[in-house]
Amino acid sequence: MSKLKFSHYFELFFWLMLVLVFFGYSFEFNKDIEIYKYGATLWPRTILLLIALAAIGQFFDQRKNGDKAASNTMAAAHEGPDSNPEHTGAAWYTSTFILLAIPFVYMTIPEKIAPLFSIEEEGLGNFKLICAAVLFIVYLGFAWRNHVGGILALPIFFAALLQDIGFYALAPVFIIGVMILMGERRATRMALVMPFIYGILLAFFVSLLYVGLPTGNIKPFYDFGNWVVTLLQ
Amino acid sequence: METFNNFIGGTVTLFGDPIGILIFFGGVVGGMLFGAIPGVSMLTLAAILLPFTAHLSAEHGIMLFSVIYCTGVYGGAITAILFNIPGAPENAPTAFDGYPMTLDGRAGKAVGAAVMCSAIGGTISCVIMMFATAPIAGWAIRAFGPPEIFALVFFGLAVAASVGAKTFWKGWLSIMAGLMIAVVGLDPVGGIERYNFDMPYLAAGIHFIPTILGFFAVSEIFVQAEKKATGAYKAPELSVDFPTFKELWLHKIAVIRSIIIGFFCGILPGIGATLAAFMGYNEAVRWSKDRLSFGKGKIEGVISSETANNSATGAAMIPLLALGLPGGALTAMMVGVFQMHDMEPGPLVFINSPDLVWVVFAAMFFANLSILLVGFLEAKTIVNLLRIPFQFLAPMILLLATVCSYAVRGLVIDVVVMFVAGVAGFFLRRSGYSVAGIVLGLILGKIGEQTFAQAMQMLHFEFTGFFNRPIALGLLIAGFITIGASVYGAFFKKSDVQQSEA
Repeated sequence: MSKLKFSHYFELFFWLMLVLVFFGYSFEFNKDIEIYKYGATLWPRTILLLIALAAIGQFFDQRKNGDKAASNTMAAAHEGPDSNPEHTGAAWYTSTFILLAIPFVYMTIPEKIAPLFSIEEEGLGNFKLICAAVLFIVYLGFAWRNHVGGILALPIFFAALLQDIGFYALAPVFIIGVMILMGERRATRMALVMPFIYGILLAFFVSLLYVGLPTGNIKPFYDFGNWVVTLLQ
Repeated sequence: METFNNFIGGTVTLFGDPIGILIFFGGVVGGMLFGAIPGVSMLTLAAILLPFTAHLSAEHGIMLFSVIYCTGVYGGAITAILFNIPGAPENAPTAFDGYPMTLDGRAGKAVGAAVMCSAIGGTISCVIMMFATAPIAGWAIRAFGPPEIFALVFFGLAVAASVGAKTFWKGWLSIMAGLMIAVVGLDPVGGIERYNFDMPYLAAGIHFIPTILGFFAVSEIFVQAEKKATGAYKAPELSVDFPTFKELWLHKIAVIRSIIIGFFCGILPGIGATLAAFMGYNEAVRWSKDRLSFGKGKIEGVISSETANNSATGAAMIPLLALGLPGGALTAMMVGVFQMHDMEPGPLVFINSPDLVWVVFAAMFFANLSILLVGFLEAKTIVNLLRIPFQFLAPMILLLATVCSYAVRGLVIDVVVMFVAGVAGFFLRRSGYSVAGIVLGLILGKIGEQTFAQAMQMLHFEFTGFFNRPIALGLLIAGFITIGASVYGAFFKKSDVQQSEA
């Protein structure tokens, strides 16, 4: 009797789609190499073939044995998503997907839509800040009900803003944000711990090791970043 | 006797010079600290120090790097055990059992085992290195060409497929995913851009440091955060209860086996400590009567991995000093130190600068011994990091990882890649895939493809050429048998878990 579940079909679909997309793209670099007759495609195509075989093998094994398919010595060390039923299901995945998409919307959309509003180079920074604020409100709306999704998306959102706002202005907000998402609610503790973490990191990496962190490129964050660097070095 | 006299000579030179002593202890403490601080590694310290070695003598410069190498490999075990963040890929298998031990309140036992076994593995490896450098280097250069190295990579990946993931299939898919990530960038033969998807960043490939930080450090934060959100989070218990010598004596066979595995993996250029640690761990699982308890906090897992990776450090110096072939990132930086002093590592070093060679050998020997003393003191201090509540530790680790991934190339996109890898690692771990397998595939992928291309050119593109090379053939057959046995087991045998449930 078949023991297949939706997740097994999804896994097979995911791997086979990956194989198809990467196999199709391999024709883009299917060029001859004079000293190597197999060219640049043999290695990736062999890996793709092995992925397809392993995915199909896994599917048939799951069909026969279900989730206990070919469990090896490390099986017991793994916890499946079933151990956290609150964080499975279509609604949770949809909300998490939207949260994860927010940083990528910020990285791609503002620069593309700016010309539609006749925004020139000088005004682009402020336009991006407005977009960031709107997206942050959307983020808060979803993260409020989906804490785990919020935790997954926050660091990517932080990284997406680094280029424009800079490490020095963003890090304090990020520290507080992570602490809140991790369940800390005591304002005094957060107010004491945040400058401690921020200060230690900057003292060690910026003052001692002269690591150049992104200062941002939108005023006033850019000025603030440069002021901190000058102060520390 | 000549070896012993040379060793005494090297020791006298090392400790007869106050600056030498200062550099030695600076390297011991620096290597351990940088190895143990989450988010940075011994490579960070070595990269920072590299330009300054121009102001040191060649002896002091090489000695400093060799000491950092020995103690840094040990230092990475501390973060692997306490936070599930391996300081370097070679410490990844240490986390498999070390971290569950921390969650069980046995962090002290795990750290103590890592200290003792790193010191034992490294010291014995150093002694063998002193006696065997010349003959082993001669054998390796004759016996190990590209076909053998490719076959060894294949065997290593086949073995690693059965470690870390929930099923063999997921292990194999994890490794293949790592190999595909390694394909992105320039092909190693013709320099043709692959899978850049018209993004300039991808033309140079995906850097392994942000990827490793994402899969290990960031995904672990996410996993713990999910547990905290559901109330399943269990704070690690503080413990400085180190294992007794008697407890470790029970695992003497695992130590000896890992020393042998670590030494032979370490001697091969480009393979080194990472494969040594994975193979040491996997053999411990394979030979154990209680296989199901691995991955749940078995001290033998920590012992096998840490003994093997430190055994590889002494062995890695053999191809570097005897043949001029670096075995990894840190030994490659050591070549840079040689070049800054107008020297080339290789057989001539033994003739032109015997003092340098024996000072380095003596320094590595004493650095491994000092892990016992300084390592215990340092571990007692660092274990106290566990007192910090997770909601305060998490932002610190995430920001450390951000700084470290950005510092590699000064690119914000590396930080994005790291956090995306973290999210991918979170979902893959939930589904039973192995992030360690992905990272191993990523690291060995480039070596594997390069050696395969060299092997095929060498064998005139005839696959039958492998039949004339017994070592390569043996390793390939062993790899195929490992995979075949797993596939057979998947369809025709009940798994260990099913049997235990029956």
